[in-house]
Amino acid sequence: MAIHEKSLIEAERLLQHDSLVVDGVDVSGHWNTMITPRTIKDYDDDFEAKIQTYSGAENVHRCWQCGSCTNSCTMYAQNVQFNPRYWIYLTRLGLTDELIKDKDIIWQCVSCNKCTNICPKDVKPEGVMKALAHWMEEEGITEKSPSTIFDEEFAEQIYHYGRIEDSKVMKNFFKKSGQPLIQGWLVEFTKRMMKGLPIAHGFRMGMNVIFTPKTKSWGKTGEVLQAYVREQKEAAHG
Amino acid sequence: MTQDTVLIVGAGPSGLTAAANVAAAGYKAVIVEKEDVLGGAPILSGYAKLVPSGEWAKDAIGRMVSRVEDDDRVTIHKGVKVEKFEGEAGDFTATLSNGETVSAGATVLATGFTHFDSINKPEWGFGTFEDVLTTTQMEQMVAAGKIACPSDGRVPERVCILLCVGSRDRQIGREWCSKICCTVSANLAMEIKELSPETDVFIYYMDIRTYGLYEDKFYWKSQEEFKTKFVKARIAEVTASGDGRLLVKGEDTLVKRPIVIPFDIVVHAIGMDPNMENPEIAQVFGVGLEKHGFIERAEHYTNTCGTTRKGVYSCGAAYGPETIDDSIAQGAAAAGRAVGDLHALVQKAS
Repeated sequence: MAIHEKSLIEAERLLQHDSLVVDGVDVSGHWNTMITPRTIKDYDDDFEAKIQTYSGAENVHRCWQCGSCTNSCTMYAQNVQFNPRYWIYLTRLGLTDELIKDKDIIWQCVSCNKCTNICPKDVKPEGVMKALAHWMEEEGITEKSPSTIFDEEFAEQIYHYGRIEDSKVMKNFFKKSGQPLIQGWLVEFTKRMMKGLPIAHGFRMGMNVIFTPKTKSWGKTGEVLQAYVREQKEAAHG
Repeated sequence: MTQDTVLIVGAGPSGLTAAANVAAAGYKAVIVEKEDVLGGAPILSGYAKLVPSGEWAKDAIGRMVSRVEDDDRVTIHKGVKVEKFEGEAGDFTATLSNGETVSAGATVLATGFTHFDSINKPEWGFGTFEDVLTTTQMEQMVAAGKIACPSDGRVPERVCILLCVGSRDRQIGREWCSKICCTVSANLAMEIKELSPETDVFIYYMDIRTYGLYEDKFYWKSQEEFKTKFVKARIAEVTASGDGRLLVKGEDTLVKRPIVIPFDIVVHAIGMDPNMENPEIAQVFGVGLEKHGFIERAEHYTNTCGTTRKGVYSCGAAYGPETIDDSIAQGAAAAGRAVGDLHALVQKAS
């Protein structure tokens, strides 16, 4: 018999073989449908502390679930699935699987900070939303945001050359974030810039893009800097 | 001369206070306590640190005991009960179980409460699993200074405290909030964490009632400084996991999902029942009981600390679930009523 409530069950919990014969009986399709249990079996006891290492989420442990954040939330007014109170609860208990289910919504926080203003326990829910979004990005649960890709390209050039070349940063950023290299606004921007640009300066810029010289005496500074940043990140997020 | 004497039944926080205040007013107090030690529940059940003072029960209540023991105006009968009680306001005669009689002009029933017996909630594992305890047992463990699973002595990774065990539960005829368990549990969570920093403490609640000034000192502090996790869930049952731990089953009402979470110790935050001897007390003293079985309170506004019988007063947890601090205040109030009414009787006669 068909299970009519399938629409109420998350797709990933429905187990069904398209064709299956058991003891000579054909139980293909919905005849063999099984549903995995939705029971929560454990908490990740360290998750709250982990999220607290992200700047802005330090006070997440103060939450007592009053719901003021969700009540005041700009995004909640647009989409009732956007529920900071709920995600803070999941964070506190370490119910990461549940959080990951909302990976495509959590990042949508617009940082209006109404929640920060209204929270009676000074939890700073906006900071928690940002922390969760960053955590998901770092864990590869969500795709890197354009700003993260930009930051990475920027930092890479600094480590390597001790300086950045604007046009090279832009070029690589467009490439890594899947944007076309030729964009209308950029063409217009370049045209107008070229009008007043001394020829010698333009030539130097062109050479810099091609040869990308390092800052003088850069030596091992880049490696040291990179190691330091890595250490700081590890100290913060483990 | 009976009109200079007040009979006080029960020597817990409220009774001890009533006796001290009767004596301080220049009257005589006669304490009748059924147990062999004075101090009531905090001493008999071996409470650890009291809410909200944070003082050890044996020290704080100990001071109250020695105050009446050292008072010449206070007579103490231990290990006896009142078996017969006759007369009227201004002239009562109580016959004790040891055969002695006490004449008194007024009586204060400071007969307190009985802890809920978790056996009456068998699905939550008390009496079945060694590592399921009550808050009073956990208090004793804290007072002894070491947090360990009774079954094998290991340090628990996780402890959970279940609130509202024997309170707010129509199924078992307990239709009242026991008032103190939320605060006591938050306090206990902090004490556990203090003694055993590697233990994580979870509190399973319907709602949190750390009212008044208990809010920040207990609820917030346990959460913010001692990392107590509060889980809004109703528990269905406590079972064994098969590997020596306990499984707490229920529904997390915020996540709207069933939960089956492993724990090492499960603590029942037991509520306050009416004194199990209240039917007998009501019969002996001729006072009424209210619908839950506690002593019936008279009209409160102008007959404070009164019962259904003139000249018989009450105070503290005899009236219903009460904190130690408020029991003490009510004990003083009852003493004030008793000596005030006796004074009025003498004035009227002269």
